[in-house]
Amino acid sequence: MSMFTTITNAAADYFPMLLHKSSPRFVTASGKPVYGIVAEFDETPKVFKAAQHVRDAGYTRWDVHSPFPIHDMEEAMGIKGTKLPLMAGAAAIAGVATAAALQWGTSFVLYPTVVQGKPFEAWQPFVPIMFELGVLFTAFMCIFGMLALNGLPRWHHPLFSHDRFMRVGNDRFFIVIEATDPDFDPAKVKKLLEDAGGKHITLLEDAD
Amino acid sequence: MEHIVTESANRPAPEATALSGAEWQKRLEKIAADPRMSEENTTISSASVRKLAVPFLFAGLVGLIVTIIGGFTVSPEHALASFEVGLFTSLAIALGGMFWVMVFHSLNAGWSITLRRQFENLGAVIWFPAVILILIAILEVIYSQSHHEGILLKWLNHQEYNHLLHVKEPYLNAGFLIFRVLIYAAAWIIISRCFLGWSRRMDETGDRRLGRKSRRVAGFAIPVFALTTTFAAFDYLMSPDYRFFSTMWGVYYFASCGLAGVSAVAIIAYFLRRAGKLEGLVTSEHYHDLGKLVFAFTVFWAYISFSQYFLIWYSNIPEETAWFYNRQEHGYQWLFILMIWGHFLVPFLLLIWRRTKRTMGLLAIMGSFMILMVIMDMVWILRPMVDFANPSEGGSAIANIWLDIAGVVGALGLFAGLVALKIAKGPLLPLKDPMLHEALKHKNYV
Repeated sequence: MSMFTTITNAAADYFPMLLHKSSPRFVTASGKPVYGIVAEFDETPKVFKAAQHVRDAGYTRWDVHSPFPIHDMEEAMGIKGTKLPLMAGAAAIAGVATAAALQWGTSFVLYPTVVQGKPFEAWQPFVPIMFELGVLFTAFMCIFGMLALNGLPRWHHPLFSHDRFMRVGNDRFFIVIEATDPDFDPAKVKKLLEDAGGKHITLLEDAD
Repeated sequence: MEHIVTESANRPAPEATALSGAEWQKRLEKIAADPRMSEENTTISSASVRKLAVPFLFAGLVGLIVTIIGGFTVSPEHALASFEVGLFTSLAIALGGMFWVMVFHSLNAGWSITLRRQFENLGAVIWFPAVILILIAILEVIYSQSHHEGILLKWLNHQEYNHLLHVKEPYLNAGFLIFRVLIYAAAWIIISRCFLGWSRRMDETGDRRLGRKSRRVAGFAIPVFALTTTFAAFDYLMSPDYRFFSTMWGVYYFASCGLAGVSAVAIIAYFLRRAGKLEGLVTSEHYHDLGKLVFAFTVFWAYISFSQYFLIWYSNIPEETAWFYNRQEHGYQWLFILMIWGHFLVPFLLLIWRRTKRTMGLLAIMGSFMILMVIMDMVWILRPMVDFANPSEGGSAIANIWLDIAGVVGALGLFAGLVALKIAKGPLLPLKDPMLHEALKHKNYV
């Protein structure tokens, strides 16, 4: 699935009147789209090794769920760095530029104003505002960019319809391989998760 | 009636630590058995250090001799100002090393243990700038007896009536200056020698209570450090222009100290790693954290120096603005612009990248660049005082620039040589520090 269809599908949740989801590759007997296959693990080392196993099998659209952060999991999952720093950097530059344009444009170009007998071209009084707007834009981009990249906010998630998944807040670990993965094949995925030591392997429907 | 006093069983003995003695011995054995802690990896021979230290010391001596010659042929103001530029950069590095050691101790920092010995070494060489500061103070006072003004400290032995100097007399006088410098030097030398001494004694005895002692003493030593650094900066960097005053001056110089200290350690660690030492002990994870500190203090310096400039610019009081005015003409305006771009904007954009902080070579280059910027900052502070005193000399930033270079090389070369010799004197890291096990597996989970 391309990046574009991912974004369109995500946006379709919010604007169903404008956008339609692309038809799913896999459907269940009841005609509902397949969300993915979930496997349960009861120990940290097991889920850690299973994650390395899934990573080595070449899957890209999958996730590990755990009650607590597991050190080095990002390496075991083969997660690449996020684009968020670049986005935040762009926002910082935009913030500084906005502040400079707003102040310099209004008090020097559009309506030259003498303030406290200081020269028109003085850059010194602009610096605090440039700094603050730079920080503000960066903070907004960090928060809202992080939410957008995570696909949040959302009303529901298909995993919530899986009763066993509720124990992820307590003492169980889960690996989910999503149906949108280009290599997704129900039989192969089940076999892989079984080999990796997963229990209660279940195919999940998308709520739709 | 007889009172029986019993100690509560739950009350810990004084100096008790969480680990029992046996557990501590077990941990020490485990650390000693680590292949990374081999003697070859944790010590450097003085022969290999001397290859670097001797050229440094030689360059420093040549620079010092050229500076002294310049003092007689050009002007004593210029020679002393150039030498003080290098000296205050050295002092910033040494004070920075001392400051970071105290911060690491008081915060019980785990990650920095494998690098802490280098901070301690930098701090322990503080005797060199401290002793030279005493000599300079004595030199200024002797000079002022015949010239009715000091070489750079123009307020010394001032004969004509000057109301400002009259009011400032209780602080700005020769006797109190000498007294203060002796206090600074004593405080710095005692503090830095204590921390290096305890750390080295722990290498031999494995007495972990020394770690706790260092932690307790660090808390009391930090205010001493803060006051002595502030007043030393007042005396030597601010008082040459005795009409100028800034309450932010101490923290302004302290920002350079913190920055120069970590930058110097980044360079030292690079050289040690290139010599094949500290393999697996100082990794890109440690570099990442050092880089964060370099980055933080680049920003902190910019914040402090801009705040100082901004307030003075806005309030526009003549005796304060005159100081900045003198530093925005005769070529010093280029240094002012270099401070904005070279000391803040460019390093900010370069150091914000994760890769710059995690790559040893790149961080060492950035560290050298930041130390160069600290030197330029000191040039910008001290050098205009020469033109101020001697307009006949040319009144330009680049007049007799050979003397500026000689002065900086003289002070920094000698300091760098002494630091290199100090490094070879013991193990390259605290071998039995109570927190060492944390530094050995340090990782940035970001």
